[in-house]
Amino acid sequence: MNPLAQPIIYSAVFAGTLIAASSSHWFLTWVGLEMNMLAFIPILTKKTNPRSTEAAIKYFLVQATASMILMMAILSNNLLSGQWTMTSTTNQYSSLMILTALAMKLGMAPFHFWVPEVTQGTTLTSGLLLLTWQKLAPISIMYQIFPVVNTNILLTFSTLSIMVGSWGGLNQTQLRKILAYSSITHMGWMMAILPYNPNITIFNLTIYIVLTTTAFLALNLNSSTTTLLLSRSWNKLTWLLPLIPSTLLSLGGLPPLSGFLPKWLVIEELTKNGSLVIPTIMAIITLANLYFYTRLIYSTSITLFPTSNNVKMKWQFENTKPTLLLPTLTVLTTLLLPIAPLMSPAP
Amino acid sequence: MYTAMTILTLISLIPPVATALTNTNKKSSYPHYVKTIIASTFMVSLLPTTMFMCTDQETIISNWHWTATQTLELSLSFKLDYFSMMFIPVALFVTWSIMEFSLWYMHSDPNINQFFKYLLIFLTTMLILVTANNLFQLFIGWEGVGIMSFLLIGWWYAREEANTAAIQAILYNRIGDIGFILALAWFLFHTNSWEPQQMLLLNTSSNFLPLAGLLLAAAGKSAQLGLHPWLPSAMEGPTPVSALLHSSTMVVAGIFLLIRFHPLMENNQPIQTLTLCLGAITTLFTAICALTQNDIKKIVAFSTSSQLGLMMVTIGINQPHLAFLHICTHAFFKAMLFMCSGSIIHNLNNEQDIRKMGGLFKTLPLTSTSLTIGSLALTGMPFLTGFYSKDPIIETANMSYTNAWALSMTLIATSLTSAYSTRMILLTLTNQPRFPTLININENDPSLLNPIKRLTAGSLLAGFLIINSIPPISPSQTTVPLYLKLTALSVTLLGFLTAFDLYLLANKLKMKNPSHTFRFSNMLGFYPNTIHRTIPYTSLLMSQNLASLLLDLAWLEKSMPKAISHHQISASTTISSQKGMIKLYSLSLLIPLSLALLLIV
Amino acid sequence: MLKLIIPTIMLLPLTWLSKKHMIWINTTTHSLIISPIPLLFLSQANNLFIHSPSFSSDPLTTPLLMLTTWLLPLMIMASQHHLSNESLLRKKLYLSMLITLQVSLIMTFTATELMMFYILFETTLIPTLIIITRWGNQPERLNAGSYFLFYTLVGSLPLLIALIHTHNTLGSLNIMLLTLSSPSLANSWSNNIMWLACVMAFMVKMPLYGLHLWLPKAHVEAPIAGSMVLAAVLLKLGGYGMMRLTLILSPLTKHMAYPFLMLSLWGMIMTSSICLRQTDLKSLIAYSSVSHMALVIAAILIQTPWSFAGATILMVAHGLTSSLLFCLANSNYERTHSRTMILSRGLQILLPLMAFWWLTASLANLALPPTINLLGELFVLMASFSWANTTIALTGLNMLITALYSLYMFITTQRGTLTHHIKNMKPSLTRENMLMFMHLFPLLLLSLNPNIITGPTP
Repeated sequence: MNPLAQPIIYSAVFAGTLIAASSSHWFLTWVGLEMNMLAFIPILTKKTNPRSTEAAIKYFLVQATASMILMMAILSNNLLSGQWTMTSTTNQYSSLMILTALAMKLGMAPFHFWVPEVTQGTTLTSGLLLLTWQKLAPISIMYQIFPVVNTNILLTFSTLSIMVGSWGGLNQTQLRKILAYSSITHMGWMMAILPYNPNITIFNLTIYIVLTTTAFLALNLNSSTTTLLLSRSWNKLTWLLPLIPSTLLSLGGLPPLSGFLPKWLVIEELTKNGSLVIPTIMAIITLANLYFYTRLIYSTSITLFPTSNNVKMKWQFENTKPTLLLPTLTVLTTLLLPIAPLMSPAP
Repeated sequence: MYTAMTILTLISLIPPVATALTNTNKKSSYPHYVKTIIASTFMVSLLPTTMFMCTDQETIISNWHWTATQTLELSLSFKLDYFSMMFIPVALFVTWSIMEFSLWYMHSDPNINQFFKYLLIFLTTMLILVTANNLFQLFIGWEGVGIMSFLLIGWWYAREEANTAAIQAILYNRIGDIGFILALAWFLFHTNSWEPQQMLLLNTSSNFLPLAGLLLAAAGKSAQLGLHPWLPSAMEGPTPVSALLHSSTMVVAGIFLLIRFHPLMENNQPIQTLTLCLGAITTLFTAICALTQNDIKKIVAFSTSSQLGLMMVTIGINQPHLAFLHICTHAFFKAMLFMCSGSIIHNLNNEQDIRKMGGLFKTLPLTSTSLTIGSLALTGMPFLTGFYSKDPIIETANMSYTNAWALSMTLIATSLTSAYSTRMILLTLTNQPRFPTLININENDPSLLNPIKRLTAGSLLAGFLIINSIPPISPSQTTVPLYLKLTALSVTLLGFLTAFDLYLLANKLKMKNPSHTFRFSNMLGFYPNTIHRTIPYTSLLMSQNLASLLLDLAWLEKSMPKAISHHQISASTTISSQKGMIKLYSLSLLIPLSLALLLIV
Repeated sequence: MLKLIIPTIMLLPLTWLSKKHMIWINTTTHSLIISPIPLLFLSQANNLFIHSPSFSSDPLTTPLLMLTTWLLPLMIMASQHHLSNESLLRKKLYLSMLITLQVSLIMTFTATELMMFYILFETTLIPTLIIITRWGNQPERLNAGSYFLFYTLVGSLPLLIALIHTHNTLGSLNIMLLTLSSPSLANSWSNNIMWLACVMAFMVKMPLYGLHLWLPKAHVEAPIAGSMVLAAVLLKLGGYGMMRLTLILSPLTKHMAYPFLMLSLWGMIMTSSICLRQTDLKSLIAYSSVSHMALVIAAILIQTPWSFAGATILMVAHGLTSSLLFCLANSNYERTHSRTMILSRGLQILLPLMAFWWLTASLANLALPPTINLLGELFVLMASFSWANTTIALTGLNMLITALYSLYMFITTQRGTLTHHIKNMKPSLTRENMLMFMHLFPLLLLSLNPNIITGPTP
């Protein structure tokens, strides 16, 4: 990528998100989303190869479809109510269409197909942005329109997302795909609680972003994209060995790590609203997530890969990638639970 | 005063166990030290027993509060009544002699110190059992003697047979323990106490269940029919062990238990009948088995089992004091019989087959004399020790209103007792020697001679002494017609004559195929063949096939983890098998549409 | 309670700052110094609030705390040979795992809040998983680790939901408060499911027969310290949780207990008869654990003061005994490099003192009087007898089989003739003998005064 273009593109991405998140006018929101989407395409194709191009095209097509549906929903809403403000989305058909469009943008269950493939096609850093930053704008829209969202459909979407994310990840050896599926699961958890307590959604998103960032940064150190590559990191980066398990177990939501916190809050809120079966199913299916993380842990830090990786001459070179954030993020990834009362969202 | 002396007796057994590691006794070796201790303990124990005889005052010592749960209080408590006071010196006397005998018998064993320590621990647990005034304490002693018997039977641990016999003993004892536990549970549940006094107080109409449990426990420990095979197998242990544990002390623990709980049993007719029949069958069956055995120790073992059956019969006819009397007298001559056979076995270079003996009365005069005296005492020859207990038992049985079948079986068994004793004596002691000529036979060692002599004296006199000490009320003085008075003697004589006649016949006639009766007797009633094959076979097969293979490794594994993982795999392949085609993705738009239709319309 | 938790946490810096040759001795000594602290809690009233509102101990907790703290030095002593070829860093990591596990165990036992208890209950999984899968010997350890993790997690997630639901309806999850003020639950379907959800987590942990498959795998594949802590403490976590929760769910247990009681009594026979056919030493000990724990489950479900006392005693006794057996199996394994019993027969000739430890361990395992094992079993037997007379047939049969397999194990490994391939075996070390002694010593001392471990006496 042209070094001069980079700041422009990144600022366009961030500006798009901020516009979408902060506006209360539907049109401006839509514009923000479009800006964000279009600016993100160069980021996806940072390394030019056919796979990234394919990923970019898929991303573009899916997001454009979603935007079109969103536009149509906005217009029909405007037609029926004459309002452009987001909070006055009263029509249930248009709210349904908005929900569909946003679910598509977030990569939730029936529209999840693009997420693993696009993530797999790009670099790790772009993947990190795709799975974290790109969720902000749609979720902030959801946050604003949550009273009119159809609860049943949203819960169906999120349960489906949890199932798809858990089972889809079981079959993978590619780390980016695994993380993409994990993101689908997390989206499911976030969206399940949205109709009841959107603050928890935001909190969940924050924790999710922290965890995913840690995971991506840790993988990025060695540019490991497959389980095999990850399992070879033991003689290059020894200190990664305790870090990866704790991060992954936290992503899997095992108490007492930070990843348990959003699950706890979601279950608490759902039970408070009289729903006991759905959280049980959600929690138990998410265990499959934990299972593929433990498999990663087994191959990374529990067993030592039988051959050393001197074939690739990796060990000769100093690590040049920045690790500045990693220690802080690791602490946040593992040890947030004891200070939960300080940061749990307002009801 | 005599309580203090008794406690002294018990406590003086502790130092040898405790000092085994420190080796403080520099002057003499550890076995000698133990023997001396036991001897002096015996001397000491005579005093409280004598005092008890004079005052006849039952006492309970309770000290050291052990544990208390909600309602139950357990404390260390000893009961000093006639039974325990009488048994302590007898046990000590027999142990003393056997310890001395072991000095000779085990002198070449490298672990002789350990052997003595084991014997000592065994004695301690036996005395705990006898003196316990608390069912739990009794259970401690009960299990203690069981485990010590396991260790001592398996003394020559490199031998497969010894290990098998040891585990067999534990197996049968444990079956008995189930009964004991049942009784413990029942008493706790219904009388809320394990102390016999309270149990008696609260339990006027005794129940069948706990007593059946106690009977099962006694049958296991005292090798009654069904649970008897461990006793002959236990002869794999060293001879002193057989002499001490498996004839005179440990095996009578079962009978002792029933004697202790006799006040509960005497009003319960079904249990009485059960005890009587069990005892009668046992005494007959084991006497038949003893008839054709060729291993000298096995003969004596079966005779022990038969005598235990007789004691059971005595309890069955409501005569605990007589049963106890028989325990005491039996201890003397049975221990001596074992010692004599030990002397013969050792001198013949570990030969146990009586067909390979013969003519020993010339070479081993003292052993032969004692063996004869012991056998005569066993058969109940008048005015030897056995007579004082066996004769009243038969008489009382004759006189009591009881099961005629059981009675006649007992009489037949009594007659068979003399038959197998005679056979043993004739085959081992008389006629030409049939052992290899090069064996160096020698009975000069005082540690062999003294204990045998002591026990011979015991076999001659002990019965007279003990019967005079029994409280006069207990064995009911029977007035019997002459022919009944002579029954015991006459059946015994009959047995002698039959055996002698059979022996002469067998000498003359040539060998012929063994008859079915012979086979029955020689194969121990086919009991080990059937029971020891089928039950372990089926249960081990069951545990392998049902418990391990079918349930654990197949059903549970398949139905839970494997099934779940199978479903996960199929679900995950269904979900993640995508081709990456954008038109399929667009098709997924149909899903929310149909969902919306379903949910909204 | 901090006087126990903080010193245990301070073991971590001690481990990481110790020099190479001092690492074992430092940690062993320090953890030994910690181990008498729970004895202080013995002299206190029957009250959960005596120490602090969040971490406290009562007569049920204290024996288990004693067991936990006593076991850490033993685990450290036992693993020395196992780790002798590893680098210093890995040794320190291993010790840190043990210490983390210890801290979480102590906090689990002392937590007064059920949610706290739940989180810490799950916390114990992570170090245990790492100990099993990282330091086990065979490749099957990964499978065993997954079984261990997922059996426990699947079992405990319903508990989480149930706890949160209770919290939402009652407003508190304080154990003491719930026990005292527990509303008697009506016999409805939803309440029954609630009972199941609450108890199932601990049934898996104990484990109940049918849910026990993880246990033999995990025990067999774990390194020695893992097997020790699994058998000695982690299984007791299940018993502890069940004793706490069934009191809260009081009237439901009476009728809900039937299938589980039956299952545990039946499973007791099944697992102990599996022991009769085991050739693998560690597997035998593991199955014997299942069978002993089945007694504990039965006792807890019967819900009488006697049975609770029996369950507590049996848990402590079994903790020490099975840990001792695993240590012995490990000392065999370190010499013969095989868990197969038949390959290490006749060891009494070579290692007579070890044979003595084996004998005492087997005798304790078969509950010889007057050990506390017998007291525990006897109490449980009494309780089940008073619950239904017929149970004596099953429990009695189990006693018989237990005696048989314990002695079978003893005879196979110690008795018999020596085989040639083990003749140049190393003699037993003082460390190992000390280890065995330190297992037996509390067993014998507790037999002198079993009152302190009879658990909660209402």
